Amino acid sequence: MCGISGYLGTEPAGRIVHQGLKNLEYRGYDSAGIALVGDTLTITKTEGEVDELPVPTQDDITCGIGHTRWSTHGEPTEANAHPHTDCTGEVAVVHNGIIENYDALKASLRDDHVFKSDTDTEVIPHLIETHLADDVDLLTAVQRTTDQLEGSYAIAVTAAGYDGIVVARQDSPLLLGHADDATFIGSDATAFIEHTDRVTYLESGDIAHITREGVEIYNHGERVERDVETLEWDADAAGKGGYDHYMLKEIHEQPRALRQAISGRVDELATSVDLDIDLPEEYLQSVEEIQIIACGTSYHAGLYAAELLEAHAEVRTSVHVASEYEFNGGRDPWRTLVIAITQSGETADTLSALRTATRAGARTLALTNTLGSTVTREADDTVFIRAGPEIGVAATKTFVSQVATATLFSVYLAQVRNGISTKTATRLLESVRDLPGAVQQILDQEDIIKETAREYADSDAFFYIGRAVGYPVALESALKLKEISYDHAEGFPAGELKHGPLALVTSETPVIALLTDETRPKKTLNNVKEVKSRGAPVIGIASDPETTGHVDTTFDIPDCGAMEPVVGNVALQLFAYYVADEKGRPIDKPRNLAKSVTVE
Amino acid sequence: MKAVVLAAGKGRRLWPLTENRPKPMIPVANRPILEHVVDALDTAGVDEIVLVVGANRERVQSHFEDGQGWDLDISYVVQEQQLGTGHALLQAESKIGDSFVALNGDRIINAELIEDVWERHRDTNDPVVSVTRIDEPSSYGVVELDGEDVASIEEKPLPQLTKSDYINAGVYAFSPDIFAAIRRTDTHGEQALTDTLSELASERRIRAVQYRGMWLDVSEPWDLLDVNDSLIAYHGPSGDRPASVDESAVVAEAALTGDGVAVHPQAAVLRGVTLGDNVSIGPGAILENAVILSDVTIKAGSVVKDCIVGANTTLGPNTTVEGGDTDVVLADTVYHDVTFGGLIGDNVDGGGNVTVQPGTIVGNDATLGSGSLISGRIDERSHVTRG
Repeated sequence: MCGISGYLGTEPAGRIVHQGLKNLEYRGYDSAGIALVGDTLTITKTEGEVDELPVPTQDDITCGIGHTRWSTHGEPTEANAHPHTDCTGEVAVVHNGIIENYDALKASLRDDHVFKSDTDTEVIPHLIETHLADDVDLLTAVQRTTDQLEGSYAIAVTAAGYDGIVVARQDSPLLLGHADDATFIGSDATAFIEHTDRVTYLESGDIAHITREGVEIYNHGERVERDVETLEWDADAAGKGGYDHYMLKEIHEQPRALRQAISGRVDELATSVDLDIDLPEEYLQSVEEIQIIACGTSYHAGLYAAELLEAHAEVRTSVHVASEYEFNGGRDPWRTLVIAITQSGETADTLSALRTATRAGARTLALTNTLGSTVTREADDTVFIRAGPEIGVAATKTFVSQVATATLFSVYLAQVRNGISTKTATRLLESVRDLPGAVQQILDQEDIIKETAREYADSDAFFYIGRAVGYPVALESALKLKEISYDHAEGFPAGELKHGPLALVTSETPVIALLTDETRPKKTLNNVKEVKSRGAPVIGIASDPETTGHVDTTFDIPDCGAMEPVVGNVALQLFAYYVADEKGRPIDKPRNLAKSVTVE
Repeated sequence: MKAVVLAAGKGRRLWPLTENRPKPMIPVANRPILEHVVDALDTAGVDEIVLVVGANRERVQSHFEDGQGWDLDISYVVQEQQLGTGHALLQAESKIGDSFVALNGDRIINAELIEDVWERHRDTNDPVVSVTRIDEPSSYGVVELDGEDVASIEEKPLPQLTKSDYINAGVYAFSPDIFAAIRRTDTHGEQALTDTLSELASERRIRAVQYRGMWLDVSEPWDLLDVNDSLIAYHGPSGDRPASVDESAVVAEAALTGDGVAVHPQAAVLRGVTLGDNVSIGPGAILENAVILSDVTIKAGSVVKDCIVGANTTLGPNTTVEGGDTDVVLADTVYHDVTFGGLIGDNVDGGGNVTVQPGTIVGNDATLGSGSLISGRIDERSHVTRG
């Protein structure tokens, strides 16, 4: 996963491309570079974050491309930073994705070309060089080159003296932004959102030729038209709005994100849900199994959703880590609905699993945050979680919005399948409606959570336990802590502790127990007693004062029924944030991680 | 044009609403007071705003972010301790290189005032203070004028000693040398901007700009109801119908509703009512002249009149807030005959058949037991049971 930014217009390209990279930094930040196009190419690169890359000062140059990298092939060094060039130094390429046949291509080129980096990308400029030698234009050279490439890629190419940019897309995301006198290129709209909200999403196989005359798009040699769409969400994404980190900003945005997620979708009077789902009701009634495919935080949201779907929609539901997914076990594909959960809509593992399901003949539904993303085009139907852009690498508001939206979907499906009483549906929908206010109450307790986090920051390890929907929340809360604080943190089903992990518990390993409604708190209290007798301090996440007598510290969760564990997760997001903050970690850019992972 | 807005104010007389949010973030006409101020700045041609924030600054930051929603450049400086308006302004010094406008974030004014103040400063390069004439000036900074110049400013003088009917309207324009003047001013614990200006008035000309337009200040809880009502009248009916209003329910034109509001059968949302986002009004409930914050649930058959209800509060079935005129004691001052049904804080959990007597103020997170009779001041987190 990397970020691509590009510009052709009338303003200084260096500044705009640099800002674009800065906006995309959440996609990768271990090296960066920019190529500006004049009579010769001016290339600047650096190891490290975009801030280390000087802003180009050639203000007369109005065409350029740039890249911020998250390493897959080759160490994060200046030599491996993009843009990469050919032997003549006249062709510059930036690339996001993986060229799977680069070994073979490199071997075929090695005799006549000098390679300066360890990247898979570098074969591309050299291939273009060989085609340009046949005296074709840059567009044709790129077309011939992409015919030779296997794998996933989004590339942007330019050349010395060439007042234009050629971009190509295969699986990896790439889109164009249109302003009155300029065209922007970005891995996502964040790259240029402050300049324009009019965008064109390229499809796989598209090659776009960007010149001063405009944009022409080709697919397999044929000229094609792609729609210009106006982005629905406003540009609120870019800045940190006075917060120290995007993550903290996004934690505080959750009440609003949740109100957006549910607004207009619940008809309290009729006790019904409208998610604008096009899948036919007869089909949904006939479904025998739901398979959820997802990675990371989205996987945890999937586990949560599965509990609700099984309990209320009376449909067998399995949850699969997307990279492990296979369609087998004698399932009837026509009676299986596959739900892909991905925040970005570009997660390569999830898209790959989705394609496996499609090939097997199952119908697919995407649950995503990103309009126009690949998953929305590949799945049969899409439900948006409407959380707004999320920049922090550690997912926060998108998790709660995923769970809230999945809960609405569960009620919808249950009603379609006649599996739910009005009383239960009302209880669930009221609980979802109570969620924004309850989350705000947690945010108002920030100081207490911060103090507790400081107190336990130096612990050896952290164990999170929960039952039922408390279990996915335990997994998710542990993931948050390990992502940003680098501490050893694990989530366990509370009952499983005694079957092994209890050996890890000492007086230096706090245990965080989910004890809210819907998590079978009375049973979990037995496990709390187990760890307390081994001397471990216990933090309880509880709404009922009866449970709090058994724990050392309580994070009080307001009463809000079925959604209480989600509210507990918000408290634990803040806990993870302040543990990491106490340790001075780079919270928005945790080492080795990137926001959405577009490689398998 | 740059503006510095002081948005760290506590507003203790608006307890308990100011426990969880700074005073400028209290909503009137369904938007925070500060947003009305930001709108006026935007209209006046300001493109860059520095917000001085303090306690609960997350509420301000999460609402305004970096200003993209207003096409403004909004940034933040933090005043860790409340040490006066001069001290608050000093926090913004590093962000100011040139002349600027400064104003309070908790008073709603028109864009023209900002334009006039700025123009006078540009013409004269002197410090400019806005003044407005009111009937009872003694609870504000009273400005004595010498022609069109400021002669002195005195904070809250005794009523019999007020020398003028003009008060400081809280909008200023300064050049950056104001920061040095603030630092030179003697402090007695608090660094008040008006102290600096009073001192400065003896050394140099300070210009006054007179203002006769809308000037809405929220000092006491019932002001919220009046300001809310005035703004609804001023801006006219929104014309928006909430997504989920039953056919048999009534929502008056002079009422505002947020996103995701549900109004159940036979409910009546009458004049002067503002419903925040995600509010649910139960069957048969009647609301009049009320400010209801977001995420509130009001259950069947309740009557809520002349009342403010804090965020995420639940009022049980048949809750009665009868409203009307009453005498209220607030911070040792008696206010006679104010129209004030009550102020109920955030996250209050109310049972059925609760009766709230006029003038009651209920703290945050309180529990009101079924059938209880509530009056006076209820502490936060307390449990009231039927006695």
